[in-house]
Amino acid sequence: MRLPNAVYAAAMLGWTAAALFAGWIAARVGLGYPPAPRGSRCLRPAEMACVAAVAEAVFPPGGALACSGLEAGIPRYVDGFVAEAPPRSRARMRLLFFLIEHGTLLFPAPGGLRGLRRFSALPLEQRIAVLEGWACSRLFARRLVFASLRAIVTLGFFAHAPVLRALDLAPHVIESPVLEVDLLYPRIGAHPDEIAWTRADLTAPSAGIPLGRSAQRQ
Amino acid sequence: MTQARVDLRVFAQYGRDFEEHADVVVVGSGPGGAVVAKELTDAGARVVLVEEGPPFTPADYTLEGGRSMARTLREGGLRHTTGTVMPTLQAIALGGGSLVNSAICHRAPDFALDGWCEAFALAHTTRADLDPHYDAVGGYLGIAATPEAVQGPRNLLFKRGCEALGYHCEPTLRNVRGCRGSGECFSGCRSRAKQSTDITYVADALRGGACVLSSARVECVEVDGRRARGVAGRIVAPFTGRPSHRFRVHARLVVLAAGCMATPVLLLRSGNLANGSGQVGRNLQFHPGVAVMGVFPEAVHPGFGATQGYQSCQFLREGFKLETLWAPPALLAMRMPGSGRALKRRFEDIPRAAIWDAIGTCHASLGRVLPRRGSLDPRLAWRLDPGDLALLVRAISVLTEIFFAAGARSVLPGLHGIDAEIRSLDQARRLLARTFAPGDLVLGGNHAFCTTRMHGDPARGVVDELGRCHDFDNLYIADSGVFPRCPSVNPMWTLMALARRTAQAIATEL
Repeated sequence: MRLPNAVYAAAMLGWTAAALFAGWIAARVGLGYPPAPRGSRCLRPAEMACVAAVAEAVFPPGGALACSGLEAGIPRYVDGFVAEAPPRSRARMRLLFFLIEHGTLLFPAPGGLRGLRRFSALPLEQRIAVLEGWACSRLFARRLVFASLRAIVTLGFFAHAPVLRALDLAPHVIESPVLEVDLLYPRIGAHPDEIAWTRADLTAPSAGIPLGRSAQRQ
Repeated sequence: MTQARVDLRVFAQYGRDFEEHADVVVVGSGPGGAVVAKELTDAGARVVLVEEGPPFTPADYTLEGGRSMARTLREGGLRHTTGTVMPTLQAIALGGGSLVNSAICHRAPDFALDGWCEAFALAHTTRADLDPHYDAVGGYLGIAATPEAVQGPRNLLFKRGCEALGYHCEPTLRNVRGCRGSGECFSGCRSRAKQSTDITYVADALRGGACVLSSARVECVEVDGRRARGVAGRIVAPFTGRPSHRFRVHARLVVLAAGCMATPVLLLRSGNLANGSGQVGRNLQFHPGVAVMGVFPEAVHPGFGATQGYQSCQFLREGFKLETLWAPPALLAMRMPGSGRALKRRFEDIPRAAIWDAIGTCHASLGRVLPRRGSLDPRLAWRLDPGDLALLVRAISVLTEIFFAAGARSVLPGLHGIDAEIRSLDQARRLLARTFAPGDLVLGGNHAFCTTRMHGDPARGVVDELGRCHDFDNLYIADSGVFPRCPSVNPMWTLMALARRTAQAIATEL
C-alpha cells in the first residue's frame, strides 16, 4: 500500500525533527566539554564542568573570605568524594549534577533563549541566578536538589585549610595519649603485628586541661 | 607484646573461610552489644563479638567533615528516610555509635519509663528496676557532669540565656574522662577522653578472653525451630564494604545488637524471623532534631568547648529537649541559607556564632525499616506527623527566644519560607506564628528506636522485657530497637542499662 504524498512528507518531517532533537540532546549532554583534569578519579568531563561551575557560583571570588570555590579545589574534592561514596549514593550524586546541568531547559536562566544553555556554559551571574531559583523554589524537590548539591560543595570548601584558618576554625594541635587500649588495635588496614606502640610508650591519660583560645592550631 | 594475648581479628588477618564456636555470639559492638559481650565474658562465657566496621585508632580519625562521615558512617553518611526526607546517621566502626556521638548520657525520665510500663504491658522496667544498671554503667564509664572549664562560650551563652528566662538548665552528663573541649566528639576523640565502647567494654571483653571479629558482616541468623544456632556472613573490606571470605559462628545463644536499622533487616532477610507479632521493622521512631544558629556581637570562638556541654529539660514533658551543639564546621555551614557572596558573608559570622538544637519526642511520627533488594542497607519510610511538626517549630521558637535572652544580635532559624535572619524577638514571634510544611524544616534524624520493640504481649511486640525474642528460646536483641517508645532523652545510657540487664538474664541461663 502506498502512503499519500502529504502523509509521507509529514512523517518524514516528523522523523527528521525527532532525529535532529535527539542529536541536539546528545550534543548537549555529551559534546563540547573540556577533558577532565589529569588525575580525576571518577567524574566525567561533563560532571567535572558542572561541579566547577557550581563551585564558582556558590563560592565566587572576592569578599572578606577571599578564597573562591575553585581556588579551594572543590572539583577535585568532589571527584574524590563521589569516588569513595557507596555505589547507590554515587549514582544519586551523578543524577544531581545532571539535573543542575540540564535543568536550565525546564528552569532557564534569565536572558531569553541563551538562558537555556547548559548550566556550566552560563556566565557567573546567570549561574548564581539559576541556583537562587533552585534554592528558593516553592517545590520541595528542587530545594532538596540544591541543598544536597550545596552540601557537597560546602564539604569541599571547608576541606581547604586556609578557609578554616580564615574563620578561626582550624583544628587544635592535639597529641593523643598512648593508652593500654592502643596496644590492642592496629591502624585500619594494618596487621596487629604492625602496632607500633609497646608498654614503654604508654603515657598518662588526658588530664582534662582545657585547650582554650590560645591553644595551638593546625 | 600485649596485643598478642587478645583474640582480635582485623581485615588484614583473614586469609580464608572459617568457622568459630562460642557460648554466645553477639552481633554489633555499639553501646548494646559491647555491654553484653563484656558482662558475659566476665561471667565466664566464651563470647564471639562480630562487628562489621574496623577498629579506629586516633591516627585513623580525620577532622574533615565529608571524609569523616564517609569513613565512620553507613552509606557514607548519606542515609536518609523517604516520605519525610530526613538524614539519619548510623556508625560502622568498632564501638558503633559511641565512637562518633557526643557522649551525652541521660537516664530516661520517670514519665517515660512509667509510660512504657503502662502502654506496653511491662512490669519490670521501672525506675527501681533500671537504676542499679544505670549506676553500674555510670560508675564503669565515669559518667559525670561536663566541667565548667571545658564548656567554652558557646555552651555558657546557652546557660546565660536559659537563666535570663528562668528556664532550668544544667551541664550534660557524659561518658568522658579528661575532656579538653576540642569539640571533636563527632569525628572521634583525639584526646582519648570519650569513653566509647571500643576503648572500654570491648577492650575489657578482649582482655577477658572474648574473640572479636572486626570487618565481619553478619548476613544471616541460622535457626532450628525455636532455637538460634548461630550466624553466618562475609568478611568486608573497611570503607568499601567489598566482601571476601565467608564465616560462620556456631553458638548456644545469639544476641543481635546491630542497631535499630540493621537488626530488623537481618531478621527479615533470615526468613522473617521472630516476627510472629508482625512488628519486626515497624514502629520506627526518631528524635527528630532542629538546629538554630545565633550570631553574637562578641567573639564566641565556637571551636573551643565540649561538643554538647549544656542542656535544658525545661520542655521535656511538652515534647522537646534543648542542647548546645558543635560539629565539624562543614556540617554546620551546610545549614546556613543562601549561596554566593551572601553565603560567604554569613560564614564570616561563624567565629561569633553559637548553634543550639532541639530533639523532639515525636511519638506520632512513625515509620518502617524494610529490606532493600540486593543490599543489606535498609529502606527507611518515615513521615513527620503534623502535630510533631508544630512541636519542632515551637522548639525553634524557644531556642530563638533563648538566643536573644543571651544577647544574640541575630538568629538564623533554618526555616524555609520566612526571613533567613531574624533580628528581634518581635520579628521572631511574627514569623514563627505561621504554618509550616515538613519540607520547610532542616531536620536531622537523631537516635532511632522501636523496630523490634519490647512488649509484654507476644502478639504486639518482638522481645520481652529481658530482650529475648518471644518466638525463640535463645535469640536476644540488645539495641535501641527494643525500646517500646522513644525515651525523650539521649538513649545511650538507657540502652546500656537494658543491655546489662539482658546480659545478666543470659548469664543465668548459661
